[in-house]
Amino acid sequence: MTSTAQDLHPAPTLAPGRTILELNGLEKRYPGTHALKPVHLAFKAGEIHAIVGENGAGKSTLIKLLTGVMPRTSGEVIWEGKPTALATPHEAMALGINAVHQEVVLCRHLTVAANMFLGEEESRFGLLQQRAMVKDAQKIIDGLGFDLPAHVMLGDLTIGQQQLIAAARATVRGTKFLIFDEPTAYLTRKEADQLFELIRRLKGEGVTIIYISHRMEEVFELADRVSVLRDGTLVGTRNIAETDEPELVKLMINRSIEQIYHKEHFTPGATIVETKNLSGKGFENVSVTVRAGEIVGLYGLIGAGRSEFVTTLYGRHRKSAGQILWQGKEVQVNSEHDAIRLGMALAPESRRDQGLCLNLPVGMNLNLPIYKRISSNFLISGAKEKAEADRQIADLRIKTPTRHALASSLSGGNQQKIVIGKWLAHGAKLFIFDEPTVGVDVGTKAEIYRLFSTLLSKGAGIILISSYLPEVYELADTLHVFRRGKLVATHGFRTASHEDILGQALAEKQEKSGGQK
Amino acid sequence: MSTEAIAAEKPKRNFNALFGLTLLGLLLLMWIVLAVATPSFATTLNITNLLRQGSLIAILAVGQTFVIITGGIDLSVGAVVGFTTVIVALLINAGWPIWAAVLATLLVGIAIGLFHGFGIVKMGLPPFIITLATMTSLRGIGLLMTNGNSISINSDSFQAFSRGSLAGIPYLFWMVILVAIPSYIFLHHTRWGRYLFSVGSNAEAARLSGVNVPRTIFMAYVLSGLLAAIVGVLLASRIGIGNPTQGDTYELQAIASSVIGGTSLFGAIGSVHGPLIGSFILSTINNGANLLNVNTFWQRVITGLLIIVIVYFDGLRRRGK
Ligand SMILES: Nc1ncnc2c1ncn2[C@@H]1O[C@H](COP(=O)(O)OP(=O)(O)OP(=O)(O)O)[C@@H](O)[C@H]1O
Ligand SMILES: [Mg+2]
Repeated sequence: MTSTAQDLHPAPTLAPGRTILELNGLEKRYPGTHALKPVHLAFKAGEIHAIVGENGAGKSTLIKLLTGVMPRTSGEVIWEGKPTALATPHEAMALGINAVHQEVVLCRHLTVAANMFLGEEESRFGLLQQRAMVKDAQKIIDGLGFDLPAHVMLGDLTIGQQQLIAAARATVRGTKFLIFDEPTAYLTRKEADQLFELIRRLKGEGVTIIYISHRMEEVFELADRVSVLRDGTLVGTRNIAETDEPELVKLMINRSIEQIYHKEHFTPGATIVETKNLSGKGFENVSVTVRAGEIVGLYGLIGAGRSEFVTTLYGRHRKSAGQILWQGKEVQVNSEHDAIRLGMALAPESRRDQGLCLNLPVGMNLNLPIYKRISSNFLISGAKEKAEADRQIADLRIKTPTRHALASSLSGGNQQKIVIGKWLAHGAKLFIFDEPTVGVDVGTKAEIYRLFSTLLSKGAGIILISSYLPEVYELADTLHVFRRGKLVATHGFRTASHEDILGQALAEKQEKSGGQK
Repeated sequence: MSTEAIAAEKPKRNFNALFGLTLLGLLLLMWIVLAVATPSFATTLNITNLLRQGSLIAILAVGQTFVIITGGIDLSVGAVVGFTTVIVALLINAGWPIWAAVLATLLVGIAIGLFHGFGIVKMGLPPFIITLATMTSLRGIGLLMTNGNSISINSDSFQAFSRGSLAGIPYLFWMVILVAIPSYIFLHHTRWGRYLFSVGSNAEAARLSGVNVPRTIFMAYVLSGLLAAIVGVLLASRIGIGNPTQGDTYELQAIASSVIGGTSLFGAIGSVHGPLIGSFILSTINNGANLLNVNTFWQRVITGLLIIVIVYFDGLRRRGK
């Protein structure tokens, strides 16, 4: 039996008590955007309910309404049979509704422990029990099977690790209803598995879970039911056993995709960049060559040193040893500026911290690297500025009212498209993409991969970092596996099995005991 | 219940009429009210006086805005004004030709800006601290140089400039236009302007996008220092003396003008016309209060309150848009 949005409402078929949360015409308008058109949906107690949809479909908006982060425009939310206002996050938490948001919304300058207990600090006689909190936090983290220290600053962890902390934080708060908004976007398989284990355990304890993801296999692995949003409208809800991936994709984007991983093979040209035994903070002895027309994939766990390697190559950190050869000549790259002048471009992994100027318009973000090119005699050509921005917006299907909208008003996936898009017109020789498709929907992923091919065909080379194995596996001509700062294995296009590569990245058992710092 | 959500949006609607009032509208409204309320407002003498008063702060506010857009602040501008009145006075009295004295004074302003850039970029000092330091030190240096005395400038032609006018508009106000137009083009139509915004929004993202962040910061403070030196020269011309204690609280007025004009102290939001209008709103408040015979102590109180009200409503209007 498949049910649609319409026949879920008014949902008399669901026995009272079995529905924990019901949305009755829930609606949200932002200035200029009708983000959520009246949605009718009922969540059953103890189910894992997946929500899927294109970037900007309204998934995060729905979550923000349910957690009191944003006020709704109209409609009702019925919690355990009673209408509720959900006007503040505090109110939602008091009911037992918690969320792990798409963008980590914790304090980077506090310790992991302080973040976990933020708002519910342990204190005695008005004094914070710092040590006790660190100990308790560590106990919780260990109990969840996460290999993370509780005493370090949150900002010192990678985004994926921060996301795990956010999840851990949500679980300790007497949660009845827990929402995950793309929790695995920055996680590798290992961490994702830990998270899934946690989610299943919570389900076993009777917690109702909403799970948002762009990765279909996760939806099929975890969910009991799945709802699809398209353009702010709920277009269907299915029992997971009664649907399949093509159907969901069709519902999401209203067309089908034959092939996501678009791979063209080009004959490799001249060497663009070569590192010889490059060492630096977080990695050592890495020798990698990138030639024109090829994609070099870097796979490994979070913290394996891939990002450190590329940022050092890009001049952000000092190398401690080794050489960088650019088109055959040794070069010193002392700053990003040097790197960009040579012809490198880096799309960083953390869009909030490094990738975007959130309170500036979309167009300005897209054009930032190329202002030099689109101005003459000091003056920026308005026409060129407009043309370049509009082209990227169209090519990448960035969902925004105009190029003047602020980057912060875009959905997570659409923000990611800006991070990628701003380099596409730059005309660099070497593109470094660090987790380029984090939070990007299937349709656009395919689009981005096609753009990779265009770059390659113009004689550029690409370094592709991804924690999502299928992505590097299906796209990389050469695949390097990193483990704990070292390059441990190298494969050609699809020459090794997924299991082998995973095994090399994990290095069997010894990984666990290793000190994470 | 959705009533809350709707209730939250309601008060905004009641103020819609106020939202519609842009800053320029507010300024014109104030002028109209004052013209009706007092016979002495709409006189040529008063208007030229008002324009002269507002001009100095207006120029400072533009420089301040460049700095604030990058996420910084320049507390030194008032002190720079005082200090440069001394420099230009000394040089003119030493027999330098006026053009040379003025040029050298402007170079001093640039040097102070470079020093700020150096402190922020190379020494890693917060803008607040380094400019606060210059603010006190410069006044001290000025006092040392003059022994605490005023230096009267013995050049009539230098002083004549500030009294003169062209097409009925004081030269001082022409200077505002002369500064505003290139500043506008610079901020909104050159890549350097874009870089100021990007640095203020997210310096890290800007750097990774190839923006030379240190150079951008240097540029902002140099412009602020230069504009402050220009104001110093104009002020010296207006009052005919060089005195290091001149320009007291100008930095605060410049910051207030900038913020009234819609500049965000968190950076990345600002314009050139906003601070200009802001500074004339401020001087109109002062001027109007004088004409209405408001006690000077109350004037200060009222100015403070009006700053809060204007910035609050302007914020509401922007968000409502
Ligand atoms: N603060 C805001 N102001 C204006 N528009 C907004 C705001 N937040 C979101 N939007 C718009 O609402 C729509 C839905 O955004 P939402 O974040 O819910 O999408 P999403 O389904 O979570 O997408 P993604 O998969 O990219 O995370 C988008 O078009 C977005 O641009
Ligand atoms: Mg989202």
